[in-house]
Amino acid sequence: MASIASHKLAQCITCHAWSPDQTMVAFCPNNNEVHIYRLVEDKWEKVHVLQKHDQIISGIDWSARSNKIVTVSHDRNSYVWNQEEAEWVPTLVILRLNRAALCVQWSPKENKFAVGSGAKTVCICYYEQENNWWVSKLIRKRHNSSVTSVAWHPNNILLATTSTDGKCRVFSTFIKGVDSRDSGTSLASDMKFGEQIVQLDLCFSWAFGVKWSPSGNTLAYVGHNSMIYFVDDVGPSPSAQDVAFRDLPLCDVLFVSERMVVGVGFDCHPMVFTADERGIWCFSRFLNERKRAPSSSKYGSQFSEAFGKLYGQSKQGVSNDAIDSTRARGGVHENCITCIVPLRKAGDGNVTRFSTSGLDGKVVIWDLESQADLSL
Amino acid sequence: MANTLRLYLTCIRNTLEAAMCLQNFPCQEVERHNKPEVELKTSPELLLNHVLICRNEAEKCLIETSINSLRISIKVKQADELENILTKKFLRFLSMRAEAFQVLRRKPVQGYDISFLITNYHCEDMQKNRLIDFIVQFMEARILKQICMKRSLNTRGRLVATEFLKQFI
Repeated sequence: MASIASHKLAQCITCHAWSPDQTMVAFCPNNNEVHIYRLVEDKWEKVHVLQKHDQIISGIDWSARSNKIVTVSHDRNSYVWNQEEAEWVPTLVILRLNRAALCVQWSPKENKFAVGSGAKTVCICYYEQENNWWVSKLIRKRHNSSVTSVAWHPNNILLATTSTDGKCRVFSTFIKGVDSRDSGTSLASDMKFGEQIVQLDLCFSWAFGVKWSPSGNTLAYVGHNSMIYFVDDVGPSPSAQDVAFRDLPLCDVLFVSERMVVGVGFDCHPMVFTADERGIWCFSRFLNERKRAPSSSKYGSQFSEAFGKLYGQSKQGVSNDAIDSTRARGGVHENCITCIVPLRKAGDGNVTRFSTSGLDGKVVIWDLESQADLSL
Repeated sequence: MANTLRLYLTCIRNTLEAAMCLQNFPCQEVERHNKPEVELKTSPELLLNHVLICRNEAEKCLIETSINSLRISIKVKQADELENILTKKFLRFLSMRAEAFQVLRRKPVQGYDISFLITNYHCEDMQKNRLIDFIVQFMEARILKQICMKRSLNTRGRLVATEFLKQFI
């Protein structure tokens, strides 16, 4: 097993994020609150509850350098939380959205963040010193459906998005006064705000979970048709690869290094994809090998029995039956994994540890160093 | 007979396992709404192709999937009038108690006898394999129940007829 710790923190977790020093975790327990837990002597203690949203929170990101938390919610709002002494103080972000916000990410320099929304737009938000609030610029009329995921290129200008129309798009987000011309590459700095650099039309179903590799050379995203797509040379002539796998679709991916990607999703087991010397990607293996127990499903002949099981399970949570079934599945997670977050050490390019959270309410920390056969 | 039933149910089970990949997804047409897309059908891109599994002409199962919900509609075999009325009464009895079943739809989809609606919320607080077990066991148990009810009805009818005809002896 590559998982080094598994913590059941709630009934159901939609998303989570780690503090810069990785002693605290912020997550949404599938409602309108953000809970912040701190690890005190091997036990998780609830230290803060952030209450400001009035619908379920769909995205959290904790900036590594400036120690700010940004949250977005289905109530169309976003808040930036700043720690002032012991309290977290929220600042409203004027998103100008009329539908739910779905995902959020800080840019690498942490002077901007991007919000994907159900209004088929992407908001790029930045801080305006003179007014003391976060304002947003919208990328409109590009997406034909909800934006499910956003990812920043390391150069702080390019932004990749995936959407439920199955396309992955890359935009320039150059904002005058926030970005300087010399900061980006030649490709990015010529572009105006909101200009579409490339549109990748590879997937026939919904696309989710887009990420850039640490160097920004490769882009990976997943489709709901159990495929993962890798795109090199993002620009006028991109080269794409797709890898199909036989298990249930993925929700999110993470680049561990330039040549290794971990994907999580409906299959409850993180999958590892690796690239060989020629740069050909393929499915490598599951992170925790599943032990397939012979399925000994007993068929009850009464409704009451089946119904009783289902109902009892849902109300009581853990029964003996439930433990049995998880053992049969052989996984750390028992339900869909929705979120994968790297645990970065300062000054280290490669990620050796990361955490996943899912609908089973667990936050699991994984360590790749303990995996002998997975060389970065 | 039993073998074809097993294949039919296995097929449904496998299809459900692949189809039940649901996530929370707010409506993109109406503000601050979050409704099952398979019912509203507001955006065609959020729906997947539906799957129809037929055992024979009279027995079939329709599985419709969207990004945040899944609808399973079952058509039940009704060979004669007795089976017809038994099925109708029995499924009506269940549909009236749909709240207690959580995933049962109050009204079946047109052309089918009983429908289930599974949303992402059900997947969040129930285990997915349990939900699938429930649907499959429901279908299996319903068939057994129908045979059982038919037999007891026939027995009862015969008894009543015997008692009634005794007076003429």
